[in-house]
Amino acid sequence: MVKIEHKRALLVFRLGQKKFEWPIEPRYWRNPLLGIALLATLPLVFHSKADFLSLFATANIYACIAIPLGWQMTGIGRMNFGPQFFVGLGGYAAGLLSVHFGWGPWQTLPVAFCLGLLLGLALSPLTTIAKGLYFSLITLILPLIFLEVTYYFRIFQGETGLYGIAPLVRLQSIKAEYLVMGYISLAMMVLYLVIVQKVLSSRIGLYAAAINDDEDVAESLGLNIKLWKVISFVVTSVMVTLTGWFAAHYFGTFAGVTYLQLPFMLKILLMVMIGGRGDIYGAIYGAYFVVILEKLLTFAGTINYILFPLILMILLFSLSEGLYGIYRKHRYREYYPTMRVRK
Amino acid sequence: MQTLLVVMIYAVLFGSLYLLISLGFSLVCGVLRIFNLGYGATFLVAVYGMWMLKSTFGLSLALSIVGVFVLQFIFWIGLVYFPIVKRYMEKEELLLTSLLLVALIVEETVNHFYPVTAGVDIPTSIFSDTIQIGTTTIPTQMIVMVFVSLLITAFFILFLMKTRIGYKIRAVSQDSEAARLLGVKVEQVYALAMGLSVIPPTVCMLVIAPIWSIEPTLGHSMLQTAILVTILGGLGNLRGTLAASFIVGFVSSAVAFFANPRLVGLSILVIVFFVLLFKPQGIAKSESLW
Repeated sequence: MVKIEHKRALLVFRLGQKKFEWPIEPRYWRNPLLGIALLATLPLVFHSKADFLSLFATANIYACIAIPLGWQMTGIGRMNFGPQFFVGLGGYAAGLLSVHFGWGPWQTLPVAFCLGLLLGLALSPLTTIAKGLYFSLITLILPLIFLEVTYYFRIFQGETGLYGIAPLVRLQSIKAEYLVMGYISLAMMVLYLVIVQKVLSSRIGLYAAAINDDEDVAESLGLNIKLWKVISFVVTSVMVTLTGWFAAHYFGTFAGVTYLQLPFMLKILLMVMIGGRGDIYGAIYGAYFVVILEKLLTFAGTINYILFPLILMILLFSLSEGLYGIYRKHRYREYYPTMRVRK
Repeated sequence: MQTLLVVMIYAVLFGSLYLLISLGFSLVCGVLRIFNLGYGATFLVAVYGMWMLKSTFGLSLALSIVGVFVLQFIFWIGLVYFPIVKRYMEKEELLLTSLLLVALIVEETVNHFYPVTAGVDIPTSIFSDTIQIGTTTIPTQMIVMVFVSLLITAFFILFLMKTRIGYKIRAVSQDSEAARLLGVKVEQVYALAMGLSVIPPTVCMLVIAPIWSIEPTLGHSMLQTAILVTILGGLGNLRGTLAASFIVGFVSSAVAFFANPRLVGLSILVIVFFVLLFKPQGIAKSESLW
């Protein structure tokens, strides 16, 4: 049986000869716990405002894409310009099955999971075959091609998108439904946060950092870089696919025009950049910041479509380490990954 | 036999068009070793800049053609190269994101001032009739486009091979550090390459605007084509780009003719995938410019 030991900052699981360590560091818990507690009280405070709750869920969904992306970029040492391909995959899997076959969210979940796993595996050889630039370009093109496919086949309902997807929970009052959905999105985000944070602070995170720094050196030190790159890519792809599944069931509609085009990908990238590159908490800052900014700018009228990228551009210029970088500036920095494209 | 002829005619047409679209992207890729992801905006600046000069400022056609080139150089060298590209040359993720943002800003600005309903009309057609080749009818303007495309490519090749500045550009393309040691002012060459790269898209839009659907989102498909052709051609090798654009042209013509026009993008991507699998450097022999 599995034996669990508690050492100072480690939980050690033993199964026969096998040993698995799970680092826990209580002294670092306080701030994330405070932040999550703050986020958890937000829906209760604004429970009467449906548009606010929808905004809250959107920010969580964005963070659910940006958090795994942070791991992926470090773990494969390349920059993925098409995470929305997997969002589209999960969303369309959920939407098509729900609309055309009347499946519920818990029936579409395993299908979305399997599709994400299969396509993640199918595309994972790219992480070793394609060099940095080629990888970025191919991942940039993939979602655009997917978008064309959705226009071509009638079942995807091209530009109007799928609508009438079964909701995640069905309650008596709409207000309660919004509240519950908001909490589910928060729970999903926190789950992703915990998983990715734990993985990156474990031995696997060290492998990822080594691969990100220099693949050749990592390989010469005896690391099976192909294996770890494929694992990083596939796991994060599945996570992003499940985010797509959640988005489809949350909004009840899913259209490739919204998710598969360049502006959506840019938003995700900017969350990672403006939040703080290569930092998991930064992705959350970035997601909330971008969503709130977008909401605030709608008051500016039609000019907001120009203002939004302009403000982000200025921020990108002025904050070299992102919003989280301001907070971290006087702190000791353990590891700061750089994403290399030209390699 | 007849169908084969039609496919070949369209292969040449598409091939020249793709060459014209991707030449500038390929040049930037070969010299600066970056991807100009804002490349889609060159087409927008060309077409809408010209429309702005002509309709809003009331310039004549010839003056607005000259003006649009000046506008392009000012925009891409003054507003994109020096503030963004030069600054983020070593931070590629920031560079690519900001270039995409530039494209988005241009697109949204165009969409704000000249939406699809504005009825943009560029009267640069030399011939407005059609021509009959075998059983196919094609606009004569397309034939003009083929010649313009080949002419521009020839001009670029001669410029790079025969002039002193061309030598410098090729030297930077082969090894920028070595070129810097030999006294080439690398930053100036970069700026020059950036400026040269906007010529083909501008000419392209001038030639095809009368027969093309002009809308603020036209940059997306252009960027997509340029990326695919450039990857296939070996990232910035002009010889490879030349071959790749005609291969892609043939494939899209064949797929559109025998299968469905909507599958063109997918089929090109599949081909690029397979080429990358077996020959990761693309079809070109070297990574230099020629």
